[in-house]
Amino acid sequence: MTEPVLSPQGQQCLQALMRVWFEFERQLGRVPLLQRLDRGQFSKADYCQLLLNWRQQVIEGSRWISRCASSFDRDYSDVRSVIIGHAREEHRDYEMLEQDYVAAGGTLADIQTAARNIGTEALHGFLMYRASQSNPVDLVGAMWIIEGLGQKMASDWAEQIDKATGGDGSFTRFMRYHGANDDDHLQKLYQLLDRLCQSPAQLAAIVRTARVTARLYCLQLEEVDNEY
Amino acid sequence: MSVFITSSGHFLPGPPISNDQMEPLLGLVHGKPSRLKRRILQSNGIKTRHYAIDANHNTTISNAGMAAKAAEHCLSTSFLGKRQIKMLSAATSQGDVVLPGFGSMLQAELGLRDIELHSSHGICSSSMMALKAAYTNLLAGEQPNALVVASELTSRLFKASRYEAAGSALDFNAEFLRWMLSDGAGALLLENQPRDKCFRVDWIRSFSHADAYPVCMSVGYPGNNSDSRSWQDYATYAEAEAAGALLIRQDVRLLENIVKLGVDGYLRLISEGRVQPAKVDHVLCHYSSHYFRGKIFDMMQRAGVGIAEHKWYSNLYQRGNTGCASIFIMLDEFRRSQPHQAGDTILCMVPESGRFNNAYMQLTVVEA
Repeated sequence: MTEPVLSPQGQQCLQALMRVWFEFERQLGRVPLLQRLDRGQFSKADYCQLLLNWRQQVIEGSRWISRCASSFDRDYSDVRSVIIGHAREEHRDYEMLEQDYVAAGGTLADIQTAARNIGTEALHGFLMYRASQSNPVDLVGAMWIIEGLGQKMASDWAEQIDKATGGDGSFTRFMRYHGANDDDHLQKLYQLLDRLCQSPAQLAAIVRTARVTARLYCLQLEEVDNEY
Repeated sequence: MSVFITSSGHFLPGPPISNDQMEPLLGLVHGKPSRLKRRILQSNGIKTRHYAIDANHNTTISNAGMAAKAAEHCLSTSFLGKRQIKMLSAATSQGDVVLPGFGSMLQAELGLRDIELHSSHGICSSSMMALKAAYTNLLAGEQPNALVVASELTSRLFKASRYEAAGSALDFNAEFLRWMLSDGAGALLLENQPRDKCFRVDWIRSFSHADAYPVCMSVGYPGNNSDSRSWQDYATYAEAEAAGALLIRQDVRLLENIVKLGVDGYLRLISEGRVQPAKVDHVLCHYSSHYFRGKIFDMMQRAGVGIAEHKWYSNLYQRGNTGCASIFIMLDEFRRSQPHQAGDTILCMVPESGRFNNAYMQLTVVEA
């Protein structure tokens, strides 16, 4: 850590967000699919199923981020710039995910035509709704969860998946890629926190959105095992 | 009603054993020196420790024996004699015998009469659970005092012959703790009245997360993850041993969670108003390894609730990681050797990796 969050309000918010994150990790620890991954009883088919479900959220991810940027008015033009940059960096991530899916034995048409699962519907709906509000400060809470998950994928899941499925990293590129810019992203997030959390009401909104995002993300992962 | 820690004691068996002396004492597995030892010792930062076994692998003192020595050391500087002790609360991760409870064996060893008894079972946090049981017993007015003792004799698990009996392959997870854990015992005396300069227990709290995490440290499972049999499910104990089900293991991959969960509990206690970081004068944290100390410290710092480095006290590096006994041995040495004055706040933390139970305690120094 080079530059910590500085303002007292930002720091309080960071403490609360850390707790939301820890709780989120425990929720993830209860998801059957991830428990199987932990035990190493996780097949390539499981992995493909995970990507198939995930892709639908990743491809929508760039939409809510872009809308979030456009919902910030002139008083937040600095924030808008940061978020546009972020959206630009990640808006084609789903292509890498699709390539991983094909490399792992899936068919491109399958992943491109699959529907959103119940959790993805809820998560996407919630994020788009929040992003459409004017000055959606609270969405920094959603970014916190999603950024954290990117790091977790890169540092834990990619390796576990390769180990369990006998992979060599050639079909976990999407997950690994998210680890590459960790520090930079985290630093930007801390700066956003400091900028956007300036009152107790904003703090409460950020933490609430982080909580909802975490819960719906979990729901999305729980739903990977469900076929309707 | 308040509860006070009015005395403490410890027992460490034999002379201090340096890093170079460890392997000759524990033995070469299959006649070969360990390739992991240096790396693990470098990371945990431990310089000396004690063992209750000798180089011929004879046990020099039993686990209950060590516990009794620590208890006697504690009583020798207290206002109470053995006859006045009303409760014994004991903790260990593995007693000398499977049954009966460790507390019973310790009671007999100590010769305590007519006491109320509690045995707590677990890993590093079992001492804190034993302490909490005694603390609440006193708070409820059930007893006026309690002796709380925690003791560990894990070196018996580290004899080269144990690993050899489990076959040829010695995996990292099975070897890891060989270079981490050692033996010792600590004791605290709780009373419902203060004596001289002593510690008032402000609160004890723990948060367990076994529902959300796999087993991280264990004895009783074979190394292979897909085999969920317990050591008791084999036809004979010999088969269990051959399968490696009696080795002590740490799933190192999961270990990092301890940092986050340790800080998580700390943040909860802050938001409940129980901990006020600025008011903490001394931190006694049972971290298993110097490596984790830095990680915990950094994360607390990052969250803006760090506690200055000079307030942290530990004797891990000289006394070793003695599992559940560590926090008592640390508190005892702190009490005897470190400057502290009436009004000082002491925060104790025991994050356990077994299946992630984190215990915390706050003490205030008082002068009767």
